[in-house]
Amino acid sequence: MQVVDLDELKRSGVLWRGRRGQPDPGRLLPSGWEVLDELLGGGWPRAALVEVLSEAHQGLPLLLPLLVRLSTRPRWLVWVAPPYVPYAPALAARGVQVERLLLVHEVSGGQSLWAAEQALKSGACGVVLAWPRQLQTAQLRRLQLAAEEGDCVAILFRPVRAAQQASPAALRLRVCPVPSGLEVEVLKRRGGWGGDSCIVPVGTEPMPDAVPAAAGPATPCILRPGS
Amino acid sequence: MLWLALYFPQLLIEVFARGRQQAGALAIVEPSGGREQVSRCNGAAQAYGIRPGLALPAALALCAGLAVQRRDRAREQRALDELALWAYQFSPRISFEPSLLLLEIGASLRLFGGLPRLLDTVQRELGQIGYSVQHALAMTATAAGLLARNRPGCQVSTRGALREALAALPLACLTRDPVTRDLVRHIGLDSIADVLALPRPELARRSGPQLPQLLDRLLGEAPDPRPEWHPPQHFSQTIELLGEIGQTTALLFPARRLMVALCGFLRGLGGGAQRLQWTLLHRDHPETRFGQGLLEPSRDPDHMLEVLRERVERLQLPAPVVAIGLRVDDWLAFEECNRDLLGGSGPDGPSGRDHALLERLANRLGGQCVRGLRCHADHRPEHAWRLCAPGEPGAADTAPVQQGRAQPLWLLPQPRPLQVHQSVPQYGGPLRLEDLPERIEAGWWDGFDVTRDYFVAHSRAGERLWVFHDRRGDGWYLHGVFM
Repeated sequence: MQVVDLDELKRSGVLWRGRRGQPDPGRLLPSGWEVLDELLGGGWPRAALVEVLSEAHQGLPLLLPLLVRLSTRPRWLVWVAPPYVPYAPALAARGVQVERLLLVHEVSGGQSLWAAEQALKSGACGVVLAWPRQLQTAQLRRLQLAAEEGDCVAILFRPVRAAQQASPAALRLRVCPVPSGLEVEVLKRRGGWGGDSCIVPVGTEPMPDAVPAAAGPATPCILRPGS
Repeated sequence: MLWLALYFPQLLIEVFARGRQQAGALAIVEPSGGREQVSRCNGAAQAYGIRPGLALPAALALCAGLAVQRRDRAREQRALDELALWAYQFSPRISFEPSLLLLEIGASLRLFGGLPRLLDTVQRELGQIGYSVQHALAMTATAAGLLARNRPGCQVSTRGALREALAALPLACLTRDPVTRDLVRHIGLDSIADVLALPRPELARRSGPQLPQLLDRLLGEAPDPRPEWHPPQHFSQTIELLGEIGQTTALLFPARRLMVALCGFLRGLGGGAQRLQWTLLHRDHPETRFGQGLLEPSRDPDHMLEVLRERVERLQLPAPVVAIGLRVDDWLAFEECNRDLLGGSGPDGPSGRDHALLERLANRLGGQCVRGLRCHADHRPEHAWRLCAPGEPGAADTAPVQQGRAQPLWLLPQPRPLQVHQSVPQYGGPLRLEDLPERIEAGWWDGFDVTRDYFVAHSRAGERLWVFHDRRGDGWYLHGVFM
């Protein structure tokens, strides 16, 4: 029996993979990780809600290149109710301009949702990262609408059990630490299929060189950890 | 010289009713001949057939729910003083008459983009502060006041036109001095035109010197000195609410009236306010005080109101409110022109949106919950970062000192002790430590002395953790998370 390698078929382009054409590149923000961009069809969806599901608040390193790039713009990077303290020296060492960080902490669950919604709607934020405790589907929808209104990426870090809940998010990922980095599985993607996964080599030493902070705001700084 | 007279025909009523969006039937009474008599009433009261001059019992018989207030002249004067504070933005020369403000605007017309725009601003803002107004313009203050009361909207700028405009007015408007009025009535003089037609010396001989002097001032033929008015350095005004308000959102309406008045005052001084102090008075309860902070000095009432809305929504009222007061003790220089010229930093520009968001969050959640982060030059991880005001740039010497080594993205607020089994730290099973710990020894100078070996550790669940071995206390601690 002839064995056909699936990856070979994908590479040669003879396999129709059921994607609805290329999404509009203007609607996507390159993630800075080549494998992840490929998985997501080009990058993070812009002005939309993204859910990152994990066992223990994992997944932040996936966003680092995006944070680095967005922090060169005069927009806030908002962290709503993070589980621990974002370690400023580490963020700075990786190229994030920490003065663009806006930390909303020590607030109740309702207040944190309200703050996330306000930040998304305001048009003053590049990205809103939130670690909500509990969310109703209606609240997710509000956040999705707010993200569209303010042209802002909303990233919600949620426990894996939230996968049971219906969600209007444009992208839903499950991440899981593995020895070589973070394994990312697409549970849902607008304009694409779920089920694919990849391993993003976050945290493998040495760390990718930090983009110098003086690299001018107009230059998109994308980390290429693989290179 | 050009005087703008602003006459407030409803001042008697509005000093009581302006705190409410919709006031019910209200009558102002004054004692007259030993009994209370309605001297002014609002539209809602007129709908019941109540008219000025009606005795109070008769008015109450027509409308049982009529709110009655005794006329309060002190309060009317206070209202005029407060209006002068607002009007100071248009002119530094302000003068008072009963229910009337006089502003010399000849010098500032161009600044405000011409007369139509100025009048537009004046009427709009007075409406927002809660007073209806009749205006008139003339070369003399006395004439402007007279015209504002009797021929609202009249604008004269030449002597001929002034004479003409005044001529048709009955003499009774000009002076209430009974001697003069009797005298002129007995000679058969009805209107101002009649008096003006008489030779001035003859008139003086018949009526005494007062009337001719008044006419001279009216026409600008004699000086019309008026006491100079100086604005106070603080803003403190109160609106009584004609009844009680139990809902916090209903307070926004009178609050906005106060804000418009405040912003006029601030424009007059060329300043902006950053700290607003609100006082809510209750009938049987100590007053409620709260502050409203702004990130930047402002004199935009809409912006202030937005911020107040967030603040007020989480306010717990101990009792219904009967009056609301606003006080601003200090104001700061404000560069509005610079902002406009630069563009983009107005309320819709990116930095304007920035500030709007920060204010909104800080006012609702409290400033301690909305912070920025910066690095701090210290080798000890718990001292290597600081909370700061959002957007505050780190100073040059606060650049991170630990370069080129594995640092976790997350730091635990406190190092968490780890269990140790057979001298291996445990975290959901034994931790696998990477080689080459990093030793941090610092802090002997400030009493927080540490000697630690930091390791990157892998848990059984695949997590990468930052743990340290305390060489003093010989314990293991979890201090950071990489993923």
